[in-house]
Amino acid sequence: MKEKKYVMGNTAIARGALEAGVRVVAGYPGTPATEIVDECLGVPGVHVEWANNEKVAFELCTGASLCHVRALPVMKHNGTNYVTDFLMHVNFTGVRGGLVLISADDPGGLSSQNEEDTRILVHQYAHLPIFDPSNPAEAKAMIKEAFDLSEKTELVFCLRPVTRVCHARGIIEFEDLPANLPAAHYEPDRERFIMSAVEMPQFGGIKKPQIRHRWLNEKQAVLEKMMEESPYNWIEKGTGKVGLIGCGMGYTWIKEAEPFLSGKLPLLKCNTLPLPRKKLLKFVKGLERVVIFEETEPFVEGLCKRIFQEEKIKVEVLGRSGFLPSDGELSLAAVLEGIEKAAPKVKVKKPKTPALDIHVPIRTRTQCVGCNYRGILNALKQTVRKHKGIVAGDIGCHDAGSFRPLELQSTIYCMGSSVPMASGMVLSGVNRPVFAFIGDSTFYHNGILGMINAANNKINVNVILGENTVTAMTGFQPHPGTGMTLAGEKTTPINVPKLAESMGVSYRVVNPYDIKQCKEALEAAVKEEGPSLIVSSMPCYLLSTRQGKKVFEAREVKVDAEKCTGCQICINDFGCPAISFDKKKKKVSIDPMLCVGCALCIDVCQKGAIS
Amino acid sequence: MKMDVVISGVGGQGNIFASLVISEYAMNKNLTVIGAETIGAAQRGGAVVSHIRIADGEIFSPIISRGQADLLIGMEYVELLRHMRLLNPKGTYLLNAMKIPTVLNNMALDEYPETEDILKAVRKYCPNGHVVEASAAARKLGNIQMTNVVMLGALTKVVPFFEYREMKLLVTSNSPTRFKEANVKGFEEGYQLIK
Repeated sequence: MKEKKYVMGNTAIARGALEAGVRVVAGYPGTPATEIVDECLGVPGVHVEWANNEKVAFELCTGASLCHVRALPVMKHNGTNYVTDFLMHVNFTGVRGGLVLISADDPGGLSSQNEEDTRILVHQYAHLPIFDPSNPAEAKAMIKEAFDLSEKTELVFCLRPVTRVCHARGIIEFEDLPANLPAAHYEPDRERFIMSAVEMPQFGGIKKPQIRHRWLNEKQAVLEKMMEESPYNWIEKGTGKVGLIGCGMGYTWIKEAEPFLSGKLPLLKCNTLPLPRKKLLKFVKGLERVVIFEETEPFVEGLCKRIFQEEKIKVEVLGRSGFLPSDGELSLAAVLEGIEKAAPKVKVKKPKTPALDIHVPIRTRTQCVGCNYRGILNALKQTVRKHKGIVAGDIGCHDAGSFRPLELQSTIYCMGSSVPMASGMVLSGVNRPVFAFIGDSTFYHNGILGMINAANNKINVNVILGENTVTAMTGFQPHPGTGMTLAGEKTTPINVPKLAESMGVSYRVVNPYDIKQCKEALEAAVKEEGPSLIVSSMPCYLLSTRQGKKVFEAREVKVDAEKCTGCQICINDFGCPAISFDKKKKKVSIDPMLCVGCALCIDVCQKGAIS
Repeated sequence: MKMDVVISGVGGQGNIFASLVISEYAMNKNLTVIGAETIGAAQRGGAVVSHIRIADGEIFSPIISRGQADLLIGMEYVELLRHMRLLNPKGTYLLNAMKIPTVLNNMALDEYPETEDILKAVRKYCPNGHVVEASAAARKLGNIQMTNVVMLGALTKVVPFFEYREMKLLVTSNSPTRFKEANVKGFEEGYQLIK
């Protein structure tokens, strides 16, 4: 039975995987990919889980694939970076059951620490095929086909949706799910699945890595032929000597731009890697210039240049290597401007709007009102100020402590970087106390490795673990410290004190709603030689509230205007959105509509003005 | 026909509910609908925006480009300003008279513009629009969370494309059981607010 629903791109992708008969789904939360995993949940016989990191998820899915079932590892671009080592092996062995990697990119860094294009990693570096969808409906069709082709070619296939596909909504047709999933079975094939530098007598003693490399190279011709026939690449006729090539969202933006042009330019939609070489050559016949619109690097542009050089075709190739913006998302404005410059004969009707003559304040993200991180961050701010400390930060809700007003963390890179970076700062001899602030999900992702290293090498670093028992930032996904699987099954949460004991690291467990206790623990950690761990332990306030659980006794909190000196310590060192400063009165006040009564600010105020 | 709608606000104001009601309304009319959301910072006081694109033909980008929106629904003053230039100056805006200061406003490090300056800039940009006391009405009805349904009621009065009876049915069917009655009241109140 077919049914039409208005859903998010991620829901469409998940549905496509389920309709294709996926058996194992694993990922680590990360915008824009997160909902793909969530949306796979609830189908009998399909295992769906949050792994503690992307590499674990990918390796687990490969294990399933080797037992002839279909598997789906899901991640954002940072995750794909993290699995590169494994990717560079599984590309040589190939897979059995269809394995489709979701590598979601975030052009413009809308919800990311960096901006990158994982097509380069997956296709250029690992030589694996990619589908780059232009919209949610196409993403759904692509993932189904990718599973089939993955089995046919024995290769990992990759679907690379960008944020504007993942978080777009559209009307999607839902088809029936398969009644039966194929049974798993395993037969050893050591020649394929033992990746080791052994000599292969049947190949004249050449080592195995080279032979497997050869196998992967030979697959490329098969893939190229496949992509010639792919339904995701096509030519649209037009007039003139300037042609446009649109890849993924690039195609979408060209179509969006067409009504603003005086004529239709020849257009090649090109959503696969490898490129459909013959189709490309047919397209450029008679053209003098092509402009390539792609997210985000000039990757297809480079491939086209190479193909034209090999074929001795004289056609000018323009794109994101400087002609179009080389960073950020494509937009209607960027596409129209590019076409205007590249095809002077075409009249471009650019939409114009009047200027808006007013200052628009920016709205930065912060912790929720009532969040326990605000207590430990305030204690840390005071300790750092007193001892001239340095704080290396990590990824998670607490990262907003690095913005104004707190400006506490001095570095934020990738998952788990805080502990090793703080360790290096200590070892530099900087002679100031160094702290690492890391959330628990990030700690289990790979921050724990930095902690083990600090313990093993006796590095005098102070690690603060914000243990809120859930991956809060991306929408409350469970992790190894939660005590529950994604499907809601009870598990044993990791016991951090026991972990610290086994590493030989001194630890102090504190309640972040008790600033005094936090400060004492931080003070003790600074004075102590060797690695220390402060476990700031309290479940996430927002999730607890939703679950009807209390993490503090809410009380009415007021500012006594008589006692308030306008020092603003409650704003600058605490940053609760419910507290504001009146410039004229030189007093702070608490908005009763926003305040949830956590009462942390009572301890923050040094004048006793808040009670 | 085409109807490009932008809804802008702050996390927790119920943007997504409103965007789903509008999208479903268009779907029921057998029109093409696509959309996009910025999510992620929504729960932490961040700015959120939904784009909904409705047409009787093909639509490509889920993102509405500058000057292309026919309708801009601002759930908060500054968030209306932030996306003002997406609106075609010949289109319509609907603004909820609600101010949510930013963290930097609270610190007195950044100015939240004065109401009359905001309205002056908005009216200069686009003459056609309404300022609705939706949050005040919702609060009076007992729950500020109903701001979004009050705004949907006001929208139905202002834009003829949206039919009263069908919009009300969709507000009901999309609401959780325990909020159905209150949400319908909020919707009706919003409809009455526009004179």
